[in-house]
Amino acid sequence: MTPRGATRKLGELEAGARAVVRRVSGEPELLHRLMELGFVPGTTVTLVRRAPMGDPIELRLRGTHFSIRNSEAERIDVDPL
Amino acid sequence: MSIPSDLAAAPLPLREAERQQPRRARRKLIAIAGGPNCGKSTLFNKLTGLRQKVANYPGVTVEKKAGFVPLPSGRTVEVLDLPGTYSLRPGSPDEVVVRDVLLGVQASTPLPDLTLLVLDSTCLDRQLYLCMQLIEIGRPVVIALNMMDTAEEEGLDVNAALLARAFGAPVIPISGRTGSGMPELLLAMDREVAPPRAVTRALPEPLRLAAEGLARMLPVTGPLASLSRFHVAMALLLDEGEDDSLMRAVPLPLRREVLMLRARLDEEIPEWRSHEPIGHYRTIEDLIRRATLRLKPETSVRERIDRVLTHRVLGPILFAALMAVIFQSMFLWATPIMNAIDAGVNALGRALAPLLPAGPIRSLVVDGAIAGVGAVVTFVPQIAILFLFIALMEDSGYLARAAFIMDRLMRGVGLSGRAFIPLLSSFACAIPGIMATRTIDNRRDRLTTILIAPFMSCSARLPVYALLIGAFIPNRMVLGFLSLPGLVLFSLYVMGILAAVSVAWVLKRTALRGPRPLYVMELPPYRVPSWRSVLLTVRDRAGLFVQKAGTVILAVSIVLWFLASYPKNPEVKPLEKRLETVERGAPTKAQRAEAAQIQNEIAGVSLRDSFAGRAGRLIEPAIAPLGFDWKIGIALLSSFAAREVMVSTMATVYNLGDADPTSVSLREKLRHAENPRTGARAYSPLMAVSLMVFFVLACQCMSTVAVVRRETNSWRWPIFMVLMMNALAWIASFAVFQGGKALGLG
Repeated sequence: MTPRGATRKLGELEAGARAVVRRVSGEPELLHRLMELGFVPGTTVTLVRRAPMGDPIELRLRGTHFSIRNSEAERIDVDPL
Repeated sequence: MSIPSDLAAAPLPLREAERQQPRRARRKLIAIAGGPNCGKSTLFNKLTGLRQKVANYPGVTVEKKAGFVPLPSGRTVEVLDLPGTYSLRPGSPDEVVVRDVLLGVQASTPLPDLTLLVLDSTCLDRQLYLCMQLIEIGRPVVIALNMMDTAEEEGLDVNAALLARAFGAPVIPISGRTGSGMPELLLAMDREVAPPRAVTRALPEPLRLAAEGLARMLPVTGPLASLSRFHVAMALLLDEGEDDSLMRAVPLPLRREVLMLRARLDEEIPEWRSHEPIGHYRTIEDLIRRATLRLKPETSVRERIDRVLTHRVLGPILFAALMAVIFQSMFLWATPIMNAIDAGVNALGRALAPLLPAGPIRSLVVDGAIAGVGAVVTFVPQIAILFLFIALMEDSGYLARAAFIMDRLMRGVGLSGRAFIPLLSSFACAIPGIMATRTIDNRRDRLTTILIAPFMSCSARLPVYALLIGAFIPNRMVLGFLSLPGLVLFSLYVMGILAAVSVAWVLKRTALRGPRPLYVMELPPYRVPSWRSVLLTVRDRAGLFVQKAGTVILAVSIVLWFLASYPKNPEVKPLEKRLETVERGAPTKAQRAEAAQIQNEIAGVSLRDSFAGRAGRLIEPAIAPLGFDWKIGIALLSSFAAREVMVSTMATVYNLGDADPTSVSLREKLRHAENPRTGARAYSPLMAVSLMVFFVLACQCMSTVAVVRRETNSWRWPIFMVLMMNALAWIASFAVFQGGKALGLG
């Protein structure tokens, strides 16, 4: 699972694409919450689909599906796989 | 870098001391903890059956669900169903309660003797996070690996024995759905369970040293004394909520120490807070690698369903169709039941009336108490129907998809996708709509939704609109194809929506402004809902409404009855005499009609001179600029019982007896009513529009006020809502009436 391509924002992935979390940024409390939900560096995440209006997005991470908004996905840097 | 053993476990001497304390015959208390969607509530329902009670934790709107479970040994334990939580570092009022209960600092709840942690075996990875934190507390834990049947079907093999060894706690595979593993679980709940072993995890040296130092300073007595000191120290460092209940549980010098340590850590390792999750997940990944085995590739049932339900085009269409079904059933299914209740209540009144002495007592029972009970019970069908659908959607996993689809649209008003269903339901009735806001997890979003829900034109406003449109709006075509009455009705609905959107916009920028919350929502796997859970939810909601909001509604009904019936007008006496003479003997058809007319006159005279009638006159100067006279003033005041009461009040004021909005005589009366001073027409179409605008915006429903009081757990928000809505209504009606007059429309 070696990363291919340059680091991107999670929200920029295509539907169906997989990537590895590299860095999460933002205010301490939100950052901590995202990390507690499993967005720690090194975790593989899949962008499953976008909602009918393009936002929010559905992610799969650690066997769970989450929906987060594009504005949150902007805080997460990933290395596409 | 493991946690020193003297800190990981609780200080032993104290544990001994606790044991020696004469335990009064308090029941063993077991708290059920777990993440959202782990099947916790289904398990709770299975364990307790109907032996449950629901209340609120003091001071917050978080529900406390408790029940009793008989164990194999014959004793009964009390079981607490904690709200679903991802972590013990709280991010919401729900999670604060969970942490406080598990650390024993929740005022209303003793420290649980045992925690039953429910984990969904099909996605253990993320769920073990809460498990790691819970184990670290150092209090007895039993772990239930739920949904083992589903895990097996999906080809997932979980090694329970390995997890049990790792945590030093009993791990029991169960299925809350089929009931497998339940006897073993009950046995484990019955035994004395030793505290678990904290699992080693990596922490950076400065953070570990800070936590250990703080742990040594913790008081050796008090509420936190029987917990792992290291865990308490970490919790104190990491829980940074304003006015945190955990901080308040430790002495002042220690609080200062915590603030100092945080500042020092911020300097040394700016991202020190991230190390708890990073450390826990490293351990979890290792555990998962050893304890689970995927025997066959993941099945994609959910993927196939999601491809349809969240499809670009099909998704919104199916959602709209489902909403149409819910909306229609709240109107169509509930109406016959509500009518039947209404008829039943009336029949009860008629049956009881002869048994009571005529006069004030009969009137109090029939027109006050029984009518009040009727006002409460009529809401139950709509509440039950809405919650039937919501419970089905929530338990099946669809509710999260609905929020996923609607989120972008609702964000326009600063709300999330979860606000859509409560607001849509409010078009039928704001009561179930406001109760449905419980599915919104963010407190500010929930409050905003509650405060704007009553702007949606509910079904109780329809009779008022129907009466006024029928009486004053000419049945003409506009642009050749739009009927004017239809257009007016449509505009009233649009106006309510616009008012709601604007108020939400303002609230989110003023009173309910706050840090932008993190919108992370789990999309759970699809599951077949359990009927037991669904029906229990419906029963809980309806029951709570009747108990908590119902009492307020009943009390206000009786007060309103009193205001409309007293003081007695002396003019009534001669009328009653006349009625007696007319009714004496066998009255002819004409005499019966005259009797009915006299009765209407009595009702009219009594109301016009009652406290309510006088209040109508008293407020006339305030409402005159809106085009309303004192008779409408009475109707406005009495419609606080329920908006549609306005119609029957107007009928009584005009001596018409009970009338429905299509009554020709009532419409005629309103059209031709004269102003006693000027002799001109009292009401114009402009006044009718002004009055309808008032009904769109004003908060005239005591049941809404009662339910907002119950759902926000304070009088502050309902009072704010009444003032805000009625001020808006007054201003808008004033603008309509005065503006219209200036334009020569009145």
